[in-house]
Amino acid sequence: MPQNVWLLILLLVPLLGSAICALMPSNAAARAWALIVSCLTAGVSVLLATKLHWNGDFDLQWGYALNNPLSLESVRFGVKLGADAVSMWLILLTALLMPLAIAASFASITDRAKQYYAWMLLLLFAMMGVFVARDLLLFYVFFELTLVPMFFIIGIWGGPERRYAAAKFFLFTFAGSVFTLAVVIFIGIKNPGGFELNSAIKFSQTLPSETRFWIFLGLLAGFAVKVPLFPVHTWLPLAHTEAPTAGSVILAGVLLKLGTYGIYKLALPLGLVGQPGLIHQLAVFVAILCLIGIIYGALAAWVQKDIKKLVAYSSVSHLGFCVLGLVALNTIGISGSVLYMINHGLSTGAMFLVIGMIYDRFHTRDINELSGLGRRMPIMAFFFVFFVFSSVGLPGLNGFVSEFLTILGAFTADHLGPKYGAVAALGIILGALYMLHMTARVIFGPLKYPHMDDHGHTAHGDAHGQADQGQKADPGHGELSRDLNFREIAILVPLAIAVVVLGVKPNLVLKTIEPPVRALSQSPAVSPSSVAQAQVVQAQLAKAK
Amino acid sequence: MNTLLPAIFPELVLIVTACVLFIVGVSNKAASRRFAPVLALVALMFVFGYQCRQSAGDRAAITDPFNTIHVAKFAEYIKLLTAGIGVLLVLLAWPTNANATGNNALDFGHDAGEFFALMLASLAGIFLVAGANDIILLFLGIELASIPTYIMVSVSRPIPVAQEAGVKYFFLGAMAAAIMLFGFSYLYGTTGMINLDQIADKFADAGAMTPWQQLAIVMLVLGFCFKIAAVPLHFYAGDVYQGAATPVTAFLSYVPKTSGMVALIKILFVATGMSWIGSPMLIKLLWVLAAATMTVGNVLGLLQFNVKRVLAYSSIAHSGYMLVGLAALVAATDSPTRQSALEGVLFYLAAYGISNAAAFGVLMLLPATQGQVFGSDEIPPATSAETFEDLAGQGRRHPALGLAMAVTCFSLIGLPLTIGFFGKLLLIRPALNAQMYWLVIITVINAAISAGYYLRIVGTMFLRAEPEAATVGNVSRPVMGTPIVAAVCLSAAATLLFGTILPATQVLTNETAGATVIQGGRMSQSGMARNVTR
Repeated sequence: MPQNVWLLILLLVPLLGSAICALMPSNAAARAWALIVSCLTAGVSVLLATKLHWNGDFDLQWGYALNNPLSLESVRFGVKLGADAVSMWLILLTALLMPLAIAASFASITDRAKQYYAWMLLLLFAMMGVFVARDLLLFYVFFELTLVPMFFIIGIWGGPERRYAAAKFFLFTFAGSVFTLAVVIFIGIKNPGGFELNSAIKFSQTLPSETRFWIFLGLLAGFAVKVPLFPVHTWLPLAHTEAPTAGSVILAGVLLKLGTYGIYKLALPLGLVGQPGLIHQLAVFVAILCLIGIIYGALAAWVQKDIKKLVAYSSVSHLGFCVLGLVALNTIGISGSVLYMINHGLSTGAMFLVIGMIYDRFHTRDINELSGLGRRMPIMAFFFVFFVFSSVGLPGLNGFVSEFLTILGAFTADHLGPKYGAVAALGIILGALYMLHMTARVIFGPLKYPHMDDHGHTAHGDAHGQADQGQKADPGHGELSRDLNFREIAILVPLAIAVVVLGVKPNLVLKTIEPPVRALSQSPAVSPSSVAQAQVVQAQLAKAK
Repeated sequence: MNTLLPAIFPELVLIVTACVLFIVGVSNKAASRRFAPVLALVALMFVFGYQCRQSAGDRAAITDPFNTIHVAKFAEYIKLLTAGIGVLLVLLAWPTNANATGNNALDFGHDAGEFFALMLASLAGIFLVAGANDIILLFLGIELASIPTYIMVSVSRPIPVAQEAGVKYFFLGAMAAAIMLFGFSYLYGTTGMINLDQIADKFADAGAMTPWQQLAIVMLVLGFCFKIAAVPLHFYAGDVYQGAATPVTAFLSYVPKTSGMVALIKILFVATGMSWIGSPMLIKLLWVLAAATMTVGNVLGLLQFNVKRVLAYSSIAHSGYMLVGLAALVAATDSPTRQSALEGVLFYLAAYGISNAAAFGVLMLLPATQGQVFGSDEIPPATSAETFEDLAGQGRRHPALGLAMAVTCFSLIGLPLTIGFFGKLLLIRPALNAQMYWLVIITVINAAISAGYYLRIVGTMFLRAEPEAATVGNVSRPVMGTPIVAAVCLSAAATLLFGTILPATQVLTNETAGATVIQGGRMSQSGMARNVTR
């Protein structure tokens, strides 16, 4: 199999870029440099995408040669990289979101911008690393490495409670993932092939059911916190709310996907697949957690006063669908989940971007203080409503197909069945309720400016203003009601295009991810006709609405 | 080679240099005080170079005519490591102020010569422990490593707290030494031998240990627990680490710990009759000690307000992690696991020693904001950061120092891309192989708890607002002493280097693996012969 050195370059570009960024002479230079590096990384990603055999013949690989210089023989660890269609889509998602997030920080991050952009690029390095790692230990290394830059990004440039949020984010995730580490080391020492992923999956099939039970639980401990699933989700609303806009975008857009991707790539094949007894125990257990998360997240989102917090809770609810599709363990459910990861990254990332733009102008995110913005800022209102629709799953936009497929997956799975599908579907209705409720108040309704004092702060925002060093001071009251400028529109348009494209042609993703997904679900009977079937049903539903 | 001189050559270099330094210390001139650390540094660098050459070649083990000292790869590794960390510790204690009577954190007055002589003597103690093949030399080595530290704590700064710490450390240390001696005396009494190999032979022949021998082993382990600051003899750590000047604290967190750990490994070798297969009693003992030490260290570490105390309790916790490796060592059923367990412990010693030096170095380079310590009215002559308040926002003011501290803390947590990650990895690996799943779970939970206080240090430095100029104004800005900065840079760079450049890590793991191959099962000729015949 040919070695593809571009996988290594994909990691080296942001890593070196980050180091150089910290040494840039001025903040403006660092800013431009970060944008260039993130675009370069995107370029490398696209190049990799052209090299990948999308029909699933073989994956891109690097580091499998015997004389791999980046290896540690004594612990049988090596830097082994690879990418299949699923990884590639997530790499592309990351590559798309990162330049936009960096561009979105231009106005709001002025304090110690050099460090900020250096951390952002390091974060890009770590996230790309997770998606291309084909060695369990390497996966863990990158998975943990995402914590450090995010800790600083939230902690230094975040909102008033940033220190608490950053520490909670770090400690929750770290406490979960130490169990993942223990499991990873366990597999690494028992598996004759060491930490290499494919051999580890083959090896795990030979393990007794009880061992795999613990393997799955250990891996889940780390990933469930990251996703986050219901009882361990409490770090998320805080971290999302306190993080700077770009931090929230990356957190919701990519970092949460590390958890679902970990479940897809590690926890399911290593711990669950091929063990009917375990599937009935564990998959059902996880599915119940997902359902609680879906309903609870939706109800919690409904009562939020802070838009950002509302979207954060909606993530808890949405990621519940995503994991539900994964543990349905059939091709429909899992492909739906993979598609969901991409769609959620696009629409929630975009939501946070728009909210950030509102916050930059009014310094408040309180639903009660914002009203009727659509009258003064029509372009902003267009994008806001557009992404809200994408998020609630309006047919024709991206969210619909994936939501539908995950629920269909739960419906048709032997171990879950219609009951689970029905409860999840209830979550969709709630999702539409809270999102539209919020949209109605913020965008429509009577025009209401937040009360401004002399300094252009709202009373609410001013209380934050003291501690709020990370955010730039108010741009000035003259610009208060100014609509989106060119830069902001340029940030949102690519996302809007992606939302429409994936909504109209979900097969673009679904077809390509089918081979790896089917290999995982091991149920050739349900595909590909079921995907086509889903398409038909989608069209019918769209007509009905 | 059956000669005494090659066996103790590095020890001789250190001791002779220490004697010269004691003579230099008589002089009251600033020039002689400036000369003392240079001499100590040169001696340690020389020994480090000598050990590098030794470990590069594949030399046979050296034993002296009386079979008192046995220097094999194991001892060579410990000596190399100690000389290397010793260089960092001397750099941290460098007298950088105008009169060369101390630095930001340290104030030994006119006693520079004596101070560095004591340092070298203490380091020579570890060298002796590493080579000792006889219970008398083993005890003497441990005491040679410990006794100078009692004095160093007391002379490190002229405030009552330091004296109190010194006295506390001395009395408790004396008690631990008594317990240890008691253990050694039973060991001698039940076997009639003082040579470790021969005692191990006796243990191997007898099969099970007699109750008196068990008592001896328990007492010895207890005595070593004091040296490595493990439960149940860990109580002194907080007070002594806080009271001592920061460079001395750095010294305390490495030197006695290493001597105790090495001695513990030797005694385990003896108690298992060279086989490393522990009796259920021994396994249980180490299991409980490991779990209790980690948990106590980390939980108490969370509750501290003084950063030096935090590092003291973290030092307890790190001893606990190493005890996990030792528990795996005696519980393992196959010899590759035993070797990897010992490898893990030896690697962790290096990882902890390297990372820890930077943490204390950064503390030394930052000023204390209060200007007075421990509520006393008089301002002590040497003040460096000790509390979280002192660290607040300093990472913003001094990004390089903040980064060094962050790297160190992440390494001590065990985050990837640092040496600490591989340290934890190499300790958990044998424990899982030895099927000590609960101990591994306790270990990883502890790693998560420890993240709490290390993150608090990093968070305080980076996420809190910078101190107001007014409060800083009345405190003299500390001198950025070049040697201290060099030590911090060296240690932080090594922490990152061994964590990221895999070939470098490979070198270190090969080194430790080499050290354990020789140690694993045969310590001397008699032992070797025995193992072959079996």
